[in-house]
Amino acid sequence: MSGADAAPAGSVPVGRGTARWLPSIFVLPLCIALALAFLWPLIDGTINSFHPFTRAGIDRESWTLANYAKLWDSFYAGILMRTIRVSLIVTLLTAALAYPVALYIVRLSPRVQAIYLLIYMTPWLVNVVVKAFGWTLLLGNRGVINNVLQGLGITDSPLRLMLNETGIVIGLTHGHFIFVLLPLWAALGGLDPNLRWAAANLGARAWDIFRRVTLPLTLPALVAGLIINFTMNMTAFATPALLGGARARVVSFLAYETNLVDLNWPLGSAMAVAMLAISLLLVWLSQRAAASGSRRVMFEGAAR
Amino acid sequence: MILRVFNWAMAALMLAPLVLIVWMSFTPAAFFRLPLTEFSLRWYREAFNYPGFFNSFLLSLRLAGVSATIATILAFLAAYGLVRFRFPGKGALEGFFMSPLLVPGVVYGIAMLQFVNSLGLYNTFWALVMAHIAIVVPYALRTIHAQLRAVPEDLEWAARTLGATRTRTLLKVTLPLCARGVLSGFLLAFLISFAEVTVVIFMTGPAYQTLPIRIYNYLTDQIDPTVAAISAMLIGLSLVLILILDRIGGLRPTAK
Repeated sequence: MSGADAAPAGSVPVGRGTARWLPSIFVLPLCIALALAFLWPLIDGTINSFHPFTRAGIDRESWTLANYAKLWDSFYAGILMRTIRVSLIVTLLTAALAYPVALYIVRLSPRVQAIYLLIYMTPWLVNVVVKAFGWTLLLGNRGVINNVLQGLGITDSPLRLMLNETGIVIGLTHGHFIFVLLPLWAALGGLDPNLRWAAANLGARAWDIFRRVTLPLTLPALVAGLIINFTMNMTAFATPALLGGARARVVSFLAYETNLVDLNWPLGSAMAVAMLAISLLLVWLSQRAAASGSRRVMFEGAAR
Repeated sequence: MILRVFNWAMAALMLAPLVLIVWMSFTPAAFFRLPLTEFSLRWYREAFNYPGFFNSFLLSLRLAGVSATIATILAFLAAYGLVRFRFPGKGALEGFFMSPLLVPGVVYGIAMLQFVNSLGLYNTFWALVMAHIAIVVPYALRTIHAQLRAVPEDLEWAARTLGATRTRTLLKVTLPLCARGVLSGFLLAFLISFAEVTVVIFMTGPAYQTLPIRIYNYLTDQIDPTVAAISAMLIGLSLVLILILDRIGGLRPTAK
């Protein structure tokens, strides 16, 4: 939806021949729907986070910041640290795995590229619960991997590959891979091949070309993709719940327990507000990273 | 060469869990055992005999159908307003319409849980519809918006000059011209709604377990290939929808 202001030259100027209220007929229904079903609940939840929680329920008469203060307790902070650690591991692992893939597929014919992109997109297109079940079949104590390992006599007892942080890392790396691969692939495809040839011509070896030409030029796209990937890892629910479980609680799982088991909505809302603030900040950062990339390309295009 | 092998390995890893599900769904054994030589439809029979799954499937279908329809209508009207008129605050409005994409499912789910309860709508179908419209509307809007921008306005003017009213022009000229975009928008909305897990798991009541939620609850409880049969059918269903979407070009604006 970018370039909204680039309306076609002949578009109707409101006021001449058409009533001023005319556009609102079209726009207003969605406005009202989103205000009711989206904005209002979010505002309502935010307000709840400033009320104290008592045995009788939410005390709507008084106001407090205690819910936010509680997020710094060692129990909650510890789970937050685990979530950040696991998300970061996933993001770095994805970067290391997606870059070689992008480098390889960008050189294939457009047809084959499309097929590979579709393959890498399948984890995103398949239901998250179904994916988690598939990993259970692979990683479980009686799953394929342990079956093979024990069948070959490599291990005696099953390796614990899920219901811990390992399971979360595997599931999330698989599930959110495309969000790094796609921008990276687009950036690599947009690189001027003359740059590589020029570098090679001047005597740079393959590794030097990658390190000093390709990598810096695709860095903005990579960083933007990684931040989106990290944000999604931080807020994922079903994958960590099914592959990590209660033994490897992450923030979203904790939020689930707080809201639906403890029924402590003020605290649950404070968690939601904190998660929203963090993810909006990260999205903003990723857009800045992507924008810095396009600026650099423009600058170099002008200099050429 | 190394890169080629690496790419193959990664592509195989992407598909591995899905292939395994389909494979498991056709074996008679309850657990993975080598070698896999036997073939059976036992788990498909069990899946159909377990009433929970079928009811949840119908609920998911109904929910996705209703929400995608409403969202597509709202999105078409809004896209028309955004593309065909100039008015102050248009950019902000577009931002507002796309903003559900920025809010993590967990956050929106928590907000909806409390909101729906305070309105007395907990454990109702329409509470789910409300949430799903907000979730899928950006996808429908983006697809329809892109298509509508490609429809030449001259044709609408021609119809108006020949005496058609604005409403008639909209229904008889504009809508057919961007039917492809509207259909893609609807299918995409349907797909997203059908697959939604996080928001629903936070806000739904016990009477309204959509199919993904039913599978989720089943998995936290036990693991047997009944889920494999259900999952294999779900994979097949999304495959069909995705192929249709790809055919009519609906995946292009979203992949960007």
